[in-house]
Amino acid sequence: MSVGAGFVAFLTVLGIIPRLTQLSKSITMIHYYEWAVVCGAIVGVMASLRDPVLHISSYFLIPLGVSGGVFVGMLAAGLTEVVNVFPILAKRIGVDGQIIILVMAIVLGKIFGSIFQWLYFVNY
Amino acid sequence: MGSDVLEKTIYIRMRHRVHVRPEKRILLKDVAQIIAPEAVLTELQSLLIYQVTESDRNLVVIDVMEVIKKIICHTEEVEVQSIGPAQTIVEVIFNKQRISIPIFILIWFLLFFGSAMTIMNFHDDVSMKSVQEKIYTIITEKKVEKPLLFQIPYSIGLGLGMILFFNHVFKKRLNEEPSPLEVEIFNYQLDLDNYVVIHEHKESVKQVHDD
Repeated sequence: MSVGAGFVAFLTVLGIIPRLTQLSKSITMIHYYEWAVVCGAIVGVMASLRDPVLHISSYFLIPLGVSGGVFVGMLAAGLTEVVNVFPILAKRIGVDGQIIILVMAIVLGKIFGSIFQWLYFVNY
Repeated sequence: MGSDVLEKTIYIRMRHRVHVRPEKRILLKDVAQIIAPEAVLTELQSLLIYQVTESDRNLVVIDVMEVIKKIICHTEEVEVQSIGPAQTIVEVIFNKQRISIPIFILIWFLLFFGSAMTIMNFHDDVSMKSVQEKIYTIITEKKVEKPLLFQIPYSIGLGLGMILFFNHVFKKRLNEEPSPLEVEIFNYQLDLDNYVVIHEHKESVKQVHDD
């Protein structure tokens, strides 16, 4: 099961890395990005199995949290359902001029849902 | 003998897509760009190619062959060369499509709450809560019920990641490049145009043979 999960994760990452290299115009460094993914996976395995404890200031969590969120956000945005279905749907309804407003609905919905979940939902 | 002006070549470049009102007479200058000798240019520009009728509904395909035939009928001893697309899609616009505001707001809220629920289900599915608590314990040494210092930046990062992917913040663009959504809309439009060209083309050929 873990091998299967890793395989699926790898497939989805294939959508994120090309998009990031395209945005930052650093396509020659893609070799290093692959290594980053591999090392990250190994570190994750060690962290979850060995329960290490590092005594670092808790403000270090903020950049960690942001990068984790950005990664999951790009994953969610790159899903085929969003990129393929959405434009066709918008053109059918006739709102393809304002599709950006609908995209904002999804983005704000996810932010709101996530914050809501961590602040209140877990109390129940 | 014979005016050497008339033996020059005329270059035609069909436009890809043209919007017209109903019942309009379509002239050559509407559907194509023309390069021609001065003497014949103005005549050619006002050459009638097609008259839009009611039976055409929204789409008419004008092929470059019809255009060349009409030009040769009109001007003798001339050579016509076509560059670019081989047909023009003429779209007849009846009235502006109005998007009703209440339905738009409804769809907006649907997407908003839908994606909120989706992300909450996703977090629950992958048991992200325990992973985040564990990360909090690894970095600092405290055990907390609600590692908010990690979770709030995570939630903001979630939105930033999606925005980064789509290349758009509200109306402002982060980069000159087109967003993936715009590329998808464009590809869909191209597929539609290809289908229309082939489909309508057969029909227009059928009409010619019925005469």
